[in-house]
Amino acid sequence: MEPTIAIVGVGETAPLRKSTKDVRELTLEASLSAIQDAGLQCSDIDGIITDAGIMPSTVPQDWMAAQLGISPNFTACLSYGGAGIVAAPMLAQYAIESGRATAVLFYFGVDWGSRADGPYAFHDMYPAKKTFEKPYGFNAQPCYFGLWTRRYMHEYGLTEDDLAEIAISQRANALLNGRGQMTTALDREGYYKSRLISDPLRAADCCLLSDGAGAYVMTSRKRAQDCRKTPVLVRGVGFGGVAVTGDDVFTQGKSLLISPAAAKASEFAQRAAGITLEDVDFAEIYDCFTISCLMQIEDLGFCAKGEAAAFIRERGITVGGRLPVNTHGGLLSYSYRLGIEHMVEAVRQLRGESGNAQVANARVGLVGGFSPPDYGVTILSR
Amino acid sequence: MQSEFKGFFNNLALGKLAFPNCKSCGAFHWYPMKYCPHCQSANIHWQPVGGIGRVYSWTVVRHSFNAVHTLPLPYVVALLEFEDAPNVRLITNLVDTAPESLTIGMKVEPILTGLNEGEPPVKVIFRKARVEII
Repeated sequence: MEPTIAIVGVGETAPLRKSTKDVRELTLEASLSAIQDAGLQCSDIDGIITDAGIMPSTVPQDWMAAQLGISPNFTACLSYGGAGIVAAPMLAQYAIESGRATAVLFYFGVDWGSRADGPYAFHDMYPAKKTFEKPYGFNAQPCYFGLWTRRYMHEYGLTEDDLAEIAISQRANALLNGRGQMTTALDREGYYKSRLISDPLRAADCCLLSDGAGAYVMTSRKRAQDCRKTPVLVRGVGFGGVAVTGDDVFTQGKSLLISPAAAKASEFAQRAAGITLEDVDFAEIYDCFTISCLMQIEDLGFCAKGEAAAFIRERGITVGGRLPVNTHGGLLSYSYRLGIEHMVEAVRQLRGESGNAQVANARVGLVGGFSPPDYGVTILSR
Repeated sequence: MQSEFKGFFNNLALGKLAFPNCKSCGAFHWYPMKYCPHCQSANIHWQPVGGIGRVYSWTVVRHSFNAVHTLPLPYVVALLEFEDAPNVRLITNLVDTAPESLTIGMKVEPILTGLNEGEPPVKVIFRKARVEII
């Protein structure tokens, strides 16, 4: 299918653990920067999309519209965090193709770096987690993914060295990028010195905590020609859910080690784009933990289940590797804004703006966003 | 608390570990839902189980994520399966069991605990099964 829309502007605030600005100011700053990057005026924007779980109660669309002076003809919210951030072009495409909107802003921001309970309090919205898990101290994402890691080790023989490989590679990418929160190199010794948080996961296996925001602007392919920067084409978008609640997703279901939504979203996006994973030059994958990045490499279809550790070792996932993954350092070493930084980075790579962390001849990039059980995939190209 | 969750605690108070089971299709589900998620029947009852579980996975938590709701560190969180309740995986704590001795598939037995000594049970924790059950 011929691409019909493009990303023409991206913006983000500086990667930071704690900001002196609140989440509304950060998100506004990123949105303005994306609109400016596109060479557009606020008055050009007539559609707004954000996630459906976090932004509606922190930076709602009506506030953003009023602040920017936008009278939208189209607004929508999708999933929560990662999957919504990445699959939002699916909705923008609908709005733009149907003539409901001509230029659509997507924004997302968090203050989980400075908020007392950070990301952990987010799961209080799930009644069964609150009732049946919290009293047993199963109350944070590192515990959930620690449990998955142990099971994965049992079923597929994964080792701590395999996890170290991901953390070390992404740190190397972050140092090349130079703007991320992590600024010191990580080697194997450093990985094993990193303290255990929830066995077998160490601090180095867990994403950062950040205050910050990002945004991107989409318009028709035709109109994109008149924008300030080289348009990045939206080649294919996939979104998938599963008949499992957010309460259940970390513990119930046939297998905890397969995310069927990721496979579904990836296949849909590839079909829509008319390209296969063999054509992908780099991937920005939702690396909330080393283990989840590894599992998504499988679920997206880059290799079979149980083979990601070998795949990563053989191909290499640093900027110079055969499949660069999280070229900015990812959620592990750049910032943790639930994947908006992944969309921004993919666009920068395809524009050739990634400096020392530029992937040579980057033509096609895949972005994967995970908000268990939902998954979003967008395939972008020059 | 969601009304569909209460049967779990009512059974615990009676000294029983029970899970929701559908009278229409016979399947268990977990966590408790309004209707059976397999066949959408509302005809759900609480089926007591024997209590012997097997460890599906576990993690040793060594960091306090929440200053208010935490257990003394480190503690073991385990996810259990039950032969007499397919489709159910239960989050619990393993006690009296050295982390080094934990294995996936290990049999564990329940201990029902109240908030204070002598009060009716509100939690179910587990330890390595003392008696091998065939």
